[in-house]
Amino acid sequence: MSKKKFVTWVCLPAYNEAPVLQEVISELRSEGFHKICILNDGSTDGTEELARQLGVLVVSHPINRGAGAAAMTGIELARRRGWQHLAFMDADGQHIAHDLHSLHEQMYTQQCDLVVGSRFLKTNLCIPRSRRLLNNIANGMTNLFARGSYSDSQSGMRLLNRKAIEAISLKIDGFGFCSEMLMEAENHQLAIEEAAISVRYTAYSISKGQDLQIGFTTALNFLWNLLFR
Amino acid sequence: MEIRVFQIVVPLLSLLFAVGLTTRYRKSRINLREYLFSLIFWSGLAVFSLFPDEISVFIARVFGIASNVNAVIFLGMGIMIYLIFMLYGEVRENRRQLTDLARKIALRDAEKETEE
Repeated sequence: MSKKKFVTWVCLPAYNEAPVLQEVISELRSEGFHKICILNDGSTDGTEELARQLGVLVVSHPINRGAGAAAMTGIELARRRGWQHLAFMDADGQHIAHDLHSLHEQMYTQQCDLVVGSRFLKTNLCIPRSRRLLNNIANGMTNLFARGSYSDSQSGMRLLNRKAIEAISLKIDGFGFCSEMLMEAENHQLAIEEAAISVRYTAYSISKGQDLQIGFTTALNFLWNLLFR
Repeated sequence: MEIRVFQIVVPLLSLLFAVGLTTRYRKSRINLREYLFSLIFWSGLAVFSLFPDEISVFIARVFGIASNVNAVIFLGMGIMIYLIFMLYGEVRENRRQLTDLARKIALRDAEKETEE
């Protein structure tokens, strides 16, 4: 695979991200990512309209279904349109667009199918204690049932190649899809790697992420799917 | 046999609900299966209220539980837990279908925009 041939669509599952959407898209464009798709998950704050004004592809759920549902819609869209590479990134401004290059570098050098951006491979990041705790619990649970050992199973920054796009199908609608994607990839014998990324925590992005209650529901859903599906 | 208040109230209420069910069935608001199942339930409740001691002692003997009251409570809880599990399964299936529908609509609209 030639590095030059990486044509990547960047999909951002978005629910009510109008306050930061313009900045996020501008940052992506400044990093050379012009194929951008907003997966609007039933937003009610004008996210869809703003995204259209900004000239990106918009795919909209008529009602809110969850981050996992939006991600799967992105995967289905990628399948239908023959996209060779699909990147996911959070739309709340937490991720730094430049880090997508690290994911591409890792996919190219390691010849893998799925790269997960990990916030915990860099030691100098200021990650709130509550986030570390939630992520440690989630990682523990994922690693208990997965074959691999992941340092950031809940990271929303991922890069999939065509093989991963065709193989991975997500059933969990909520945030549990992060762990589910890893387990699906393992079940399909995909090569998975991690790449170090940075993170930008603001009061806004912290308010948008998982809290303890959502984390608990995510964990229950994940276990239910594991045991009964 | 001493007649207790609930042995009048419960059968009367059951009869009332059975009449209501029959009306709904005649108006095709419920199907035969739902009608028969509900009828069996309300009839069973009426019979149980008429012979509570005999039936609860029988249930206790069948399950090997000393107290007839505990036997009825455990049986009731078991049935409720089963129904809750069934309901949860239905809710999850509904959620899945709703998500599939939302996805179909989203992708169809995206295709339409591309064609335009």
